[in-house]
Amino acid sequence: MTDLPLLSVLIFLPLAGCLLLLPVWNCRVSARPIALGVALIELALAAWLYASWRGLSTIPAQLPGYLLQEDAAWIPAFGIRYTLGLDGISLLMVMLTAFTFCVALTVSWNSITEKTGLFLTLMLVMESGIMGVFLALDLALFYLFWEVMLIPMFFLIGVWGHGRRIYSTIKFFLFTMFGSLLMLLAIVALHLTHAQQTGVATFGLHELLGTQIAPETQLWLFGAFFLAFAIKFPLFPLHTWLPDAHTDAPTAGSVILAGLLLKTGSYGLIRFGYPLFPQAAQTLTPLLYALAVIGIIYASLVAFAQEDMKRLIAYSSIGHMGFVAIGIAAWQPVALSGSIIQMANHGVTTGALFCLVGMLDERAHTRDIRAFGGLWGKIPRYSFFFLFFSLASLGLPGLNNFVGEFLVLVGTMKKAPLVAALAFVGIVLTLVYTVRLVQEVLFQEERQPLPLADLSLREFSLLVVLALLDLWMGVHPAPLLDMIHLPVQLLTGTP
Amino acid sequence: MKLYLALILLLPLLGGTFNALFGRSLPRRVVETIACGVIWGAFACSIVAFLQFTVPVRIEYASWLSDFDFKAPIALYLDQLSLALTLMITFVCGLIHLYSVGYMKDDPSPARYFALLNIFVFAMLVLILAENLPLLYLGWEGVGFCSYALIGFWYSDPKNATAGRKAFIVTRIGDTAFGIAMVWMFHLFGTESISELNTMGFLMPAGVITALGILLLIGAAGKSAQLPLSVWLPDAMAGPTPVSAQIHAATMVTAGVYLLARMFPLIGASPSVQAAIAITGGVTALYAATCACVQRDLKRILAYSTISQIGYMVLAVGAGALTASTFHLLTHAFFKALLFLGAGCVITALHHQQDIFRMGGLKGRLPAVYWPFLAGVLCLAGFPGSGGFFSKDAILGAVLEHGGPLYTGLFALGLVTALLTSFYTFRMLFVVFHGEASTPLSPRAVTEHEQSMSGDPVVERSRTEPLPAVMTLTLIPLAILGLLGGLINLPAYLGNHGLLSGYLGSIGGFSPAAHASAVTEIALQIMAATASIIGLGLAWSRYTGDRRAVSLATESGEAPFHIRFLQSGWMLDDLYRLLIIRPFFWLARFFWKGVDEAAIDGTLDGLARLTARLGGLPAGLSTGKVATSLIAIAGGVAVVLVYVAWMVMS
Repeated sequence: MTDLPLLSVLIFLPLAGCLLLLPVWNCRVSARPIALGVALIELALAAWLYASWRGLSTIPAQLPGYLLQEDAAWIPAFGIRYTLGLDGISLLMVMLTAFTFCVALTVSWNSITEKTGLFLTLMLVMESGIMGVFLALDLALFYLFWEVMLIPMFFLIGVWGHGRRIYSTIKFFLFTMFGSLLMLLAIVALHLTHAQQTGVATFGLHELLGTQIAPETQLWLFGAFFLAFAIKFPLFPLHTWLPDAHTDAPTAGSVILAGLLLKTGSYGLIRFGYPLFPQAAQTLTPLLYALAVIGIIYASLVAFAQEDMKRLIAYSSIGHMGFVAIGIAAWQPVALSGSIIQMANHGVTTGALFCLVGMLDERAHTRDIRAFGGLWGKIPRYSFFFLFFSLASLGLPGLNNFVGEFLVLVGTMKKAPLVAALAFVGIVLTLVYTVRLVQEVLFQEERQPLPLADLSLREFSLLVVLALLDLWMGVHPAPLLDMIHLPVQLLTGTP
Repeated sequence: MKLYLALILLLPLLGGTFNALFGRSLPRRVVETIACGVIWGAFACSIVAFLQFTVPVRIEYASWLSDFDFKAPIALYLDQLSLALTLMITFVCGLIHLYSVGYMKDDPSPARYFALLNIFVFAMLVLILAENLPLLYLGWEGVGFCSYALIGFWYSDPKNATAGRKAFIVTRIGDTAFGIAMVWMFHLFGTESISELNTMGFLMPAGVITALGILLLIGAAGKSAQLPLSVWLPDAMAGPTPVSAQIHAATMVTAGVYLLARMFPLIGASPSVQAAIAITGGVTALYAATCACVQRDLKRILAYSTISQIGYMVLAVGAGALTASTFHLLTHAFFKALLFLGAGCVITALHHQQDIFRMGGLKGRLPAVYWPFLAGVLCLAGFPGSGGFFSKDAILGAVLEHGGPLYTGLFALGLVTALLTSFYTFRMLFVVFHGEASTPLSPRAVTEHEQSMSGDPVVERSRTEPLPAVMTLTLIPLAILGLLGGLINLPAYLGNHGLLSGYLGSIGGFSPAAHASAVTEIALQIMAATASIIGLGLAWSRYTGDRRAVSLATESGEAPFHIRFLQSGWMLDDLYRLLIIRPFFWLARFFWKGVDEAAIDGTLDGLARLTARLGGLPAGLSTGKVATSLIAIAGGVAVVLVYVAWMVMS
């Protein structure tokens, strides 16, 4: 099986799946299983890779720490190559991607009634793009996938969204485009600098790692990367596109936005930003700390004031991603692995919360917190899961978010004790807005006059899987930590 | 041992999980049997563990958090302290589970109740048995969650849900300090193992140890409801009464004391920490006692008494008297659970009436409650000969022996508190059980004074309701243990060596302090006994006989300011509302509307509009769509930036 170009399969299978959708473009009933089937095959592939990564790691790879690699010339004139690589970190992200798309397709099974063919196609294209982002080791290729993944999201919000969807779409588009154009610039500049120095034209990450860049230039280039990734993260004060995008996106869009698109920012910083420009990163670390801590506290406060559940969870995402940012800024093995684990944790937990809000929205056609209350007596199964994922989100030990946040704090304490202490304050604030949400939605007297149906079998099974995953990652994170151990060790230069 | 220890934890966990998942569709009797069965099973396993116990053991079951040099496995540590507490917890909680069967017999959701109660026991046992701090923290947060969910068990009343939320948030403020200490300790010592940490204190300068100690003290203050984080406990009485007994009296609230005692070899090395702990405990004990004297809600009296008694335990830790602290922790668990369960009987019998001024004369009508309750009252009041007397006396003695003006002052404080305690305890007893039955109430008055219970309609009847036998029977073993609890650690002049002192003596930090001479000891006990009897006398003269009617009339009338000040817990809630909660709401709103929407988005939207207008000028030829123009502008900005970057590089 290892003879197959598995990584290319991972990337292009969803694209190929789009072709299968063409004949049934207008037939919603047969299109949905096809798309989900493709996503499930992706998930099976990712699962197979996970099951066999220890075996793969014994195969000598060209690059240290990598399990699988593919490399081919693509545009020789510019030295652009088709280089893909899979290490523990990208494997975790690939698993998260494959899983999140299954979740997104399942949760929107009934809710997308118009232009279903187009919707499913866009989803699959986006899956290809995101897989590519997590696997590309050539900067030009990375940039290509980066753009591929954005465009479908643009349509997703614009076509199937609600509320002020056009405003939100444009805002999302402008923010991300602004960032990615700057990044493209920096990529080209880096390429040219390297070519000047060595005479070799390349976009390959591992060739570029050795480039000697003047400190001032490094700052500019890192600044451009940083800005692109910070918008994606999102870091304060570049975050205002996120609440709007989340609020107006369809549920599937929110799940992917929170589960994956935000992760591309942190992943980019870990894979490219810090390794390529170590000195500049060092210089800007205090800035990253500051933005992350401000983001955690600020976003948690703003989340507390929200009345729209989706907006509340969107702001909570900013807070949670702040922890990821702190762990990256510390650039210390425990903190960094905490960050990476936290990326997966946040994807699953917040994804689940968005699913839950989406389910409620489908039933009551509102997401206003004030419209609910006392759901525990009305729809107990739903409420159980709502409470469960809220607890995970507020970092209850034994569930997954605690693992990531705690490791981040353990590691950060060694580098920046004050930051760690302030982040702990953020944990209290997380609790404050989460229990407010839980209390006003699940407890107190009933305020929702509509009769609400409890979970359907499809919804129930989806949430069970998500909950088991939360529990597994919270109680026994060792396998995942093992998987990212070596890459983190290499990245941080830990002996 | 490995198996039994695992079973002690697993049984409650499995019972709770099972009931949570399937309990809804099972008959009530099955749910109750499972819930009680697992706790008594855990108790049986603790007995076996007790019998097999020889030396402290550390048992590792599995890895949990393990990443580079950071290790926090699922490992348990069993020594005399954790074993003693495990026995107490499984036993008291077992009784409370049985009691709950009677108390909750008409509640519509037994599965949720018993599942949470079981999981609470699991979390508490994890907290006690954990070998490392992160695992302890798991239990710590677990009990916090269960307490939150159980306080707000009758969630449809916003007041209950809010009380639960308050408990969760206030305790978590303390947890944060604990969390920082935990992470910092790993940074300093490279380990999270409690037993290793306790031997490493000498590696660090005194200032660091002091800071760690203060952080742990804040954490303990949150969980154990000490000043200034005590405000959640009186409100926590919104939960079902057995929950108050289990969580807010016997077990969870002692977690802070346990943490301080457990980490004492590390943090006790700093005299400043000891002093801080002692002051916190002493002042809290007095504070809560003053509040308890004027409460009119039966459960709130008990809640403040809990805060006060835990203050004593904390004070003992501050004086380095860990054995005395543990001693009082154990006797208190028995008699406070007893008092709460007794109060639950009274409340049930009176159809959810909690106002003591609407009770009275229950002695004749509820003898099965009166006599055990009297035993609890004697213990709480420190009446000579009761278990509470000996354990409280051990604390006062240790504080006095510690010497120095500070500790002498705290000793005096403790003595005053003892007097107040005796007064409010007997006040409660006399008002509730003695005198004449209060006149039948009008239904309207009942609904007004009905205290935050399930909200099911209260049918007013002047007679009491028969109690399920299981409720009154569970009081008996607790009464016996409370009264005779003193036997486990008699002072030196009565028994040769305290049983408990001998048992715990080998644990680090527990080494018995130099014993005072028998004369000092006896003198001390006479003082304590006097304080207790004066309190009794005051309450007797005020609430029995002729004076009773006058006192009751005065106290149930319009209260003057100083009484209302004490009733509201020195108005701490109002203070926090003013200083913290209001600004928090304001800041949240300001950040959202003022910063996020007005400042950030306003600027960006303005910028976008400006760009669009500029873009619109030459775009007469193009589509005129705003989006297109905006993209073009973004591209233009990019071109400029390319140029700038290029200039910088070359």
